[in-house]
Amino acid sequence: MIDIQNLTQEFSNGRGIFDVSFQVNKGEVFGFLGPNGSGKTTTLRHLMGYMKPGKGVTKINKLDAWTYQALIRKDIGYLPGEIAFLDGLTGNDFLKMMVGMQGIDLPERRSKLIRLLQLDPSIQIRKMSKGTKQKVGIVATFMHDPPIYILDEPTSGLDPLMQKLFIDLVLEEKTKGKTFLISSHSLAEIERTCDRVAIIRDGKIVTVKDIHELHALQRKAFNITLANSDDVEALLLSELNPEKIDDFIVRIEIQGNYDAFFTILSKYHVKNVSADEQNLEQIFMDYYSREDVEL
Amino acid sequence: MSISLYKQMMKTNMKTFLGFGIGSAIYVSLMTSLFPMLEDNIKEIDEMIAIFPDALLRALGLESMGTYGQYIAAEYYGLFYLFILGVFTVMISIHLIARLVDQGSMAYLLSTRVSRSKIVRTQILVLVSGLFMIHLLTFIAGFIAAEFVIDTDSSIAFGEFFQINFVGFLLFYAIGGYSLLISALFDDEKNAFALAGGITFIFYGIDMVGKIVPDIDWVRNLSLFSLYEPGKIASGDANLWLSSLVFLGIGIIGYTVAIFMFRKRNLPL
Repeated sequence: MIDIQNLTQEFSNGRGIFDVSFQVNKGEVFGFLGPNGSGKTTTLRHLMGYMKPGKGVTKINKLDAWTYQALIRKDIGYLPGEIAFLDGLTGNDFLKMMVGMQGIDLPERRSKLIRLLQLDPSIQIRKMSKGTKQKVGIVATFMHDPPIYILDEPTSGLDPLMQKLFIDLVLEEKTKGKTFLISSHSLAEIERTCDRVAIIRDGKIVTVKDIHELHALQRKAFNITLANSDDVEALLLSELNPEKIDDFIVRIEIQGNYDAFFTILSKYHVKNVSADEQNLEQIFMDYYSREDVEL
Repeated sequence: MSISLYKQMMKTNMKTFLGFGIGSAIYVSLMTSLFPMLEDNIKEIDEMIAIFPDALLRALGLESMGTYGQYIAAEYYGLFYLFILGVFTVMISIHLIARLVDQGSMAYLLSTRVSRSKIVRTQILVLVSGLFMIHLLTFIAGFIAAEFVIDTDSSIAFGEFFQINFVGFLLFYAIGGYSLLISALFDDEKNAFALAGGITFIFYGIDMVGKIVPDIDWVRNLSLFSLYEPGKIASGDANLWLSSLVFLGIGIIGYTVAIFMFRKRNLPL
């Protein structure tokens, strides 16, 4: 469905994207993960036909994304990463204009989306909060029922409840066989929806992995509070490489070995478990250190 | 072109169009209603004008005030009109493309099946519609004012007044041509505005210098404004065909190249 081969675009300041390749299959939700400024948006811009590849090709539905840009965009719902609307429009004005430009008018689907996101489209976009603007963008992206979605940081600005609603929306569209390419800087944000993930850093693809493989790679830290100091001492000697951080609290980092974690912990009286979210940088570090070992 | 985009763009810019249009219309009708008073004392005024240095009179287009056409050309179309419409044309041209690219809202417009060239064509039509509206309002206001305040036996010069407005419209059609081209080429709204505004201002300055200093009269050939001389149109001395064709040609070239370049360029959206 989406095919990127050796895509290179170097900017005058030396930054850019270099030799980016990956494919997104029909019906797949594909995550595109990377820190800010790593080249995610630049890659997506090529798919939308905003930029001509320096080298390489980008194809959607087997058509070149630069040459056939207007034709291809017919099948795409694109949510830009930057929230910028025309001056002086209400949400309704904007959606009406987009309906006309998309050439597909599905009033029921549109009002369902507006209800779902609890959006009031009658107010001036300029006066909306960041999250509300993002909702207007999401409605515009989904309302014409396109087969392919390209979403650039779709949940930025949304509160946790709306993020969850959005994830449900993506999953519902996925059951209809829609294809998704979703960029994000946070794995937690996209892991519930994605089948596969590409990680980009400094303009280069670091890896393309199945989400389960990535989970296995991901290191998670748990802070375990135990009832007595004997248990603490015993646990510290276990194979889990624990680290004592307080009198009764032990920190354990896990990378896939969940069975061992539960077997060992079941021997002790645990009073509390709290999980630390692992950030993206750590995933990169993990991935790189593993690469070094393999080399 | 895209009708939905056109409608929304007209709606968004209507306040500006009406603001400039009504402002220009009020000014013209006020000036027109002053004409009879002036006409009664035309002999004295012409004598007074004769006292001014020639260079100043040429610069202001104040060679004679004998007829309504010459009067309104001197009072409005020779100076104030050029300035107001110049600002309007450059500003709207930059807003219609470069601002949308700079702000990033062009990304939404370009997320649909509407092609880049269709978007530029629509924006050209919005600009031309705005220019047309302003000139229409100005013309109607001037015409109505003239009908009511000027005696039938004095020359209201309907034909010349129409020509002054029509060639003026074409002048700004041409200025819109290069302004929109610049607008289509730049990522940064401010740079685009500075360049298009700068070129327009330089054209205006060259024309002014050529008028004031007769020895270097030839420099006026470098400026678009030299082809628009409302005073001469009013007295029937202007080459309307040449001016109209040159303006039309420059406009068409500007808009065509703008569409072509906007299709080919990388957009930072």
